[in-house]
Amino acid sequence: MRPPVNAPATHDSVRLPLSQARIPEDAFAAMRRENLARWPSGAGVNFAAALERHRSLPRHKQLAWVMRKADAERRCLTQPRGGFGTFELQKELMKALDRDGHADIVPTTTDSYTRNEQWHLAQKGIEETEKLGRSMLNGYPMVNYGVGPARELIDAIDKPAIMLTGTTMPKLTGEIGYAAGYSGYLGSGIAYTVSYIKELSIEEGIRNYQYLDRLVAMYQDAGVELHRRQPGFLTGTNIPPCIAIVTCVLDCLLAAAQGVKNYGLEMGETLHLVQDAAATAVCREMCQEYLAKQGYADVFTPVTLLHWMGAWPHDDAQSAALISYGGTLAAIAGAVSVTTKTAHEAFGIPTPQANAEGLRMTRTAIYLARHIRLDGLPEFEREKDLIRREVRPIVDKVLEMGDGDAAIGTVRAFEAGVLDIPWSPNRGVKSRVLPARDADGYLRIVDPGLMPFPGEVMQLHEERLRRRAARDNIPYGPELAVASVYEIAEPVAKLLPDTWAALGSDS
Amino acid sequence: MTAGLARTIVTGVIGSDTHIVGNRILTMALEKAGYKVVALGALTPAADFVRAAVETRAEAILVSSLYGQGELDCRGFRDLCVEAGLEDILLYAGGNLVVGKRSWDETEETFLKMGFDRAAPPGTRAETVLEWLARDLSPA
Repeated sequence: MRPPVNAPATHDSVRLPLSQARIPEDAFAAMRRENLARWPSGAGVNFAAALERHRSLPRHKQLAWVMRKADAERRCLTQPRGGFGTFELQKELMKALDRDGHADIVPTTTDSYTRNEQWHLAQKGIEETEKLGRSMLNGYPMVNYGVGPARELIDAIDKPAIMLTGTTMPKLTGEIGYAAGYSGYLGSGIAYTVSYIKELSIEEGIRNYQYLDRLVAMYQDAGVELHRRQPGFLTGTNIPPCIAIVTCVLDCLLAAAQGVKNYGLEMGETLHLVQDAAATAVCREMCQEYLAKQGYADVFTPVTLLHWMGAWPHDDAQSAALISYGGTLAAIAGAVSVTTKTAHEAFGIPTPQANAEGLRMTRTAIYLARHIRLDGLPEFEREKDLIRREVRPIVDKVLEMGDGDAAIGTVRAFEAGVLDIPWSPNRGVKSRVLPARDADGYLRIVDPGLMPFPGEVMQLHEERLRRRAARDNIPYGPELAVASVYEIAEPVAKLLPDTWAALGSDS
Repeated sequence: MTAGLARTIVTGVIGSDTHIVGNRILTMALEKAGYKVVALGALTPAADFVRAAVETRAEAILVSSLYGQGELDCRGFRDLCVEAGLEDILLYAGGNLVVGKRSWDETEETFLKMGFDRAAPPGTRAETVLEWLARDLSPA
């Protein structure tokens, strides 16, 4: 019998009608009992002990506090990714990132079996890794190891730790990690469901993350502040800021409704300095605007930028430029943290050393860019205004479709194509919207699919993209989108030729 | 291009991997070249590739993997084909096939030993795959 792949998350015996409303206490208690019984390590989660654990951690190991502090001081923190298949490898990695990389936030990336709740397969991966001596899993199997080893990982570092689990099924991983002293969790019901899975419905993804957000609210009610993060970088492939921000706002409303007070938003860098700075500012502004409309005044929404999420060049020198420039962009944009990559990105999972080098490169760039801001620059102000004009009509339409409820509106809007995501693997997403890079390096929309962007906005996108099409002799349409997927990975001599001799003979 | 007319190819991303972009671009290129493509998309178990190939009488299976765990996912893939009566089906694997920065020669050898006919390194373009298929598929 083959193991279940893409099996939907377990169905709770307590099943409330879909809405953004906070899950009632008794219903949540029943959901937790059921969830924790799904794998033996779930029994290791004890809420009272978990509270005690967090209260005993110094503030500098609590991500919610560290993010607020960094924001107040206008710092841009660094955070890598990182996960290996066994406890020993993971511990060494986290120590290296902390000490050699000077990471401000230390990550634990879970492996893809864990992300899909295939804990039996993860167990096999642990055994193979131990046998072969090199990691056969692309991350740390948090659930298989359980609370005890996770606590030891936290004890091995002197920074706050965040779970990076790339999953639509965070319920058990989240319970175990938070109980062990992790103080941050990246993932959300809309963004990950449309980006990281084929068969799961948007509704189920939303429900799964409502559980996690409700859990964080439970800690909050007991006086323990935990940090939640939304992966607005989506499929990581040329996501225009407006589409990222629409999902940021909607996921943020869902989290706030469960009682979350610390909610970070992550966006992939477009690699255009002005567009990234505009996106960073408007993302936070839009989240706060819609939170205020729904009556939430005290949700902290810092923005994180991520090093380039698309295809990477195979040349180490070109990769180093993306890493350093990625730090520069994040710092000037006013991002509260930046998530780093490495020169190994095009080849797969980096060594701890390469990972630490990516961190130090980024950190140097951040230092050099300190206090530089674009406020008042006409192009920056224009781009911010454009993003607002793109985001509001979509979010307003979604909320209208849900009669004010973000959960219901989101589900209906994806069915109708009002919400759409480029390059989505999910069957429930139309994925007709296509982005491309314009002649100046901004990400624009070549085909909006069924998304109701205003006509004047689409006109501007088309005008910019037609200039790119003409310059590069690419037909205006989907081919422009495909060319843009590869662009950043192209050899630099192709992107910026040095054939001066040919130019000289022209004139 | 008439060489590919009506010949069927199965594509997909194997295992617990969601990286769909390259696979979708490859699928678009294959269709444009005249192949009939059964695109299984992301997160596809090995057995689903084989079942689809049997049902559609496909002549090749193109397996993508970007997330590093492809080596685990692809073990025994050829055996599954043989069990299903597809002894001679053409098998390609491509992407970031192993965890970490190992030499491509080593990785290629690993996949050829597993019974794949070709392995495509990261960054391989759709045009290259089309050339391989034109050479490897026996004349109809």
